[in-house]
Amino acid sequence: MRFLLLNHIQNARQSLKANRLRSILTMLGVTIGVASVTTILALSSGASQVVSSQVDRLGGNIAVVRPGTPDSNPLTTITGGTPQRDYAPSTLTETDLAAVAQLPGVHAIAPLMVLTGPVKGDSPAPANTPIVATTPDLANITKLPIASGQFLDSYINPNTAVIGTQLSIAIYGTEASVGRKIDIRGTSFTVIGVIKRLNNPINYDNVDFDSAIVINLDGGKALNQGVAQLQQIDIQADTVSNLSQVIIVTNKTLLQAHGGQNDFSVLSGDQISQPSSQLFYAIAGVTAAVAAISLLVGGIGIMNIMLVSVAERTREIGIRKALGATNGDITWQFLIESLAISVSGGITGYLIGYGLAFVISTFMTFDPVLNWQIAAVALGISLVMGTIFGLYPAFKAARKDPIDSLREYS
Amino acid sequence: MAKTLPVIELHDLKKRFGVGDAEHYALDGMDLTIKKGEFIAIMGPSGCGKTTLLNILGLLDQSSDGEYKLDGVEVSTLRQSKKAHIRSQQIGFVFQSFNLIARLNVIDNVALPLTYKGIPKTKRLQMASDILTNFHLGEREYYMPYQLSGGQTQRVAIARALVNEPSIILADEPTGNLDSHSSHIIMEELSDLHKRGNTIIMVTHNPRLTSYASRVITMLDGHVDTDTMVIPEIVAVAPKRPLGPKSKKKKPAKKKPPVKKSASTTKKTTTPRKKKT
Repeated sequence: MRFLLLNHIQNARQSLKANRLRSILTMLGVTIGVASVTTILALSSGASQVVSSQVDRLGGNIAVVRPGTPDSNPLTTITGGTPQRDYAPSTLTETDLAAVAQLPGVHAIAPLMVLTGPVKGDSPAPANTPIVATTPDLANITKLPIASGQFLDSYINPNTAVIGTQLSIAIYGTEASVGRKIDIRGTSFTVIGVIKRLNNPINYDNVDFDSAIVINLDGGKALNQGVAQLQQIDIQADTVSNLSQVIIVTNKTLLQAHGGQNDFSVLSGDQISQPSSQLFYAIAGVTAAVAAISLLVGGIGIMNIMLVSVAERTREIGIRKALGATNGDITWQFLIESLAISVSGGITGYLIGYGLAFVISTFMTFDPVLNWQIAAVALGISLVMGTIFGLYPAFKAARKDPIDSLREYS
Repeated sequence: MAKTLPVIELHDLKKRFGVGDAEHYALDGMDLTIKKGEFIAIMGPSGCGKTTLLNILGLLDQSSDGEYKLDGVEVSTLRQSKKAHIRSQQIGFVFQSFNLIARLNVIDNVALPLTYKGIPKTKRLQMASDILTNFHLGEREYYMPYQLSGGQTQRVAIARALVNEPSIILADEPTGNLDSHSSHIIMEELSDLHKRGNTIIMVTHNPRLTSYASRVITMLDGHVDTDTMVIPEIVAVAPKRPLGPKSKKKKPAKKKPPVKKSASTTKKTTTPRKKKT
C-alpha cells in the first residue's frame, strides 16, 4: 500500500524540534557511544596497519623464520608478561641458517640474534638496549639507511658495531659517534656507523633500530659462549613470484634438519604482522566492548524518551487513528522518529570520533585509518540501536485504543 | 436524491462493558437503519450510550454482539487495516473538543486525513486550502490552533472532517464547547452539508439543535426510545429560535444578520462542489 516515508521524516523533524533540548540530550547518548567506537576502530586499524604496510613497502619478497609454532592466541601475549622466548633457547641454529642460505631462489638471508646486557659508551645505555647480532645482508633486507660511517661487512673486524641514532645520543650526547669505543658485556667494540633515525619502533624484526646496537654474528656468538641463538631469520627471495616456492622449500629443509619436529614457523606477508595486528585487534575489541556499554546506555535513553513521547501524544495518536491512520502508519511514525534521533546522533558521533582520533594520533607514531567500513559500522550501529530501542515504544503507540486515547485530555 | 439507500444498518447491536458483577450494556439491542442523505440528531440522557454508538458507527470501537452493516458490508469481519481504510475514505469525525493536533498549523491539520489517503503533499495542501477558503478561514491557514477562537477551531475541525469528502459525518456534540453564536454558525455549516447530500449523524444534548435535523432519535438505556422524522417543510416555516440559554437571547439576536450572510455566501461558493460530488 502506501508508505509515507517523507511524511514521517517531516513529522519526526517537527516533533523533535518541538522538544529541542530533550532531543539533543538523547542524541548525545548515541553520539558519545558512536564517537568512542569510531575513535577506537580508526586508531586500532591504523596501528595494526603499521607492520603490514612495512612488509609491503619492503617489496613483498620477504619471509621470516621464527622459532616455535605461531601463537594464534594474542591474549597470551597480553597476559603472559615477557614473552618466554626471551629466556628459552631458540630452536633456530647456525646450521639452519647455512642450510636455508643455500636454497634456490634465496637472494639474501640475515639472522637476528638479539641479546641484552650492560652497554656503556661515555655514559651507560638504558637498560634492555637490544644488541642485535646479524650478517651484513640485514641492511639490504630491512633497508636500514646509514647516517654516517658504514654498515657491517664480511671483511670487518668482528669487534665493530653499528648503533642507532637515539642510542648514540643517549650514550655519547651526539649523533656523530663513529670511531668511538663502546663497551658491550665487558667487551670493547668500535662504532663504525650510525643508523639514520627510522622512528619505527613497531616492525617485523621486533627491534627498535633507533636505540639498538648491531654487531656481527661472530661478535654476538663470542658474547654468548660461542653459541648462536637465532630469534629470527629474514629471507629475501630473488623475485616476488618465487617467494612462495622459497617458503615451501625452506619449510621442507628445516623440517628435515630438525628431525621432523615442527618447532619453527616460516611466515610471510600478513602472517608476519599477524601477532601484533591480532594484539591490536584484541585490545581494540576490549575497548570497543566498553564503548558498547555507553551505546547501550544511549539506546536506553532513546527508548525512555520515546516512551515519554508516546505517552505525551496519546491524544494525537487517537486523532490520527480516527482520521484513518492504520496501526502500521503509527508504528512507522514513531519508529522513524527514534531512527532520526539515533542516526543523527550517529553521524555526529562519527565526525566527532574522527576528530578525536586525529587529535590523539598526533601523539602517536601512526595515523587513524579513514575507510568506508568504519563509516558503515557507525551508521549500522545507530540504525540498529534506533530500531531495537524504538520498536517497543512504536508498537506501544500503535496498539493504543483510539477511544481511550481520544478521551485522554492533555 | 437516493434517500432510499441504507448506509448504516444496525440489528440488535450490543456493547458490553466490564465483566462479572460489573457487567453492563452501554448498547442493549440497538435497531437502526440510516439512509443516505439523512441528518440525524441523537439525543438522550448522559450514559445512555450515544457516544458509544457513535464510536461504533465510526469503526473506532467494536460491538460485542449484533450486526452492523456499513454500505451492506458486515463490519465485524473486517481487519483493522481495512477499518482504518474506511475511516480514511468514508467517515469524517467532528469532536466536541475539536481535537486538532496542537503542534501542527491549521492547514497541516486539515490536510492530515489526506496524508493517510496517500495524496501527494502539494495536492494535499491545495485541497486543504480550497476547503478552508470555503469555510472563510483562508487567511488563517498558517495560524496555530491556539491562535483561533472556539468557533474557528471547530470550523477547522469540520473542514478537516470534510476534506476527504466522506459519505458519513459523525459529530459528537460539535457545539458542546461553543457559545450560542458560534454554535449557530457551526450548525449552519452542518445543515449546509446536509443539503448537499451528506449523511450526518450528530449526538447532542441541546434540544434546540434538533431543528436542523431531518430525523431525531432519542436513546434510553442503550436502545432507541423515540424516532421522529422531521418534515423539512415545517422546519422551513417554523421560526428559527436562537441557540443557547435564553438569558443570552439579546446578543445573538443582534449578531444574527451578518451570520446569515456568511452562511449564504458559503452556499454560493460551494455550489460547484456539489455538482462534482
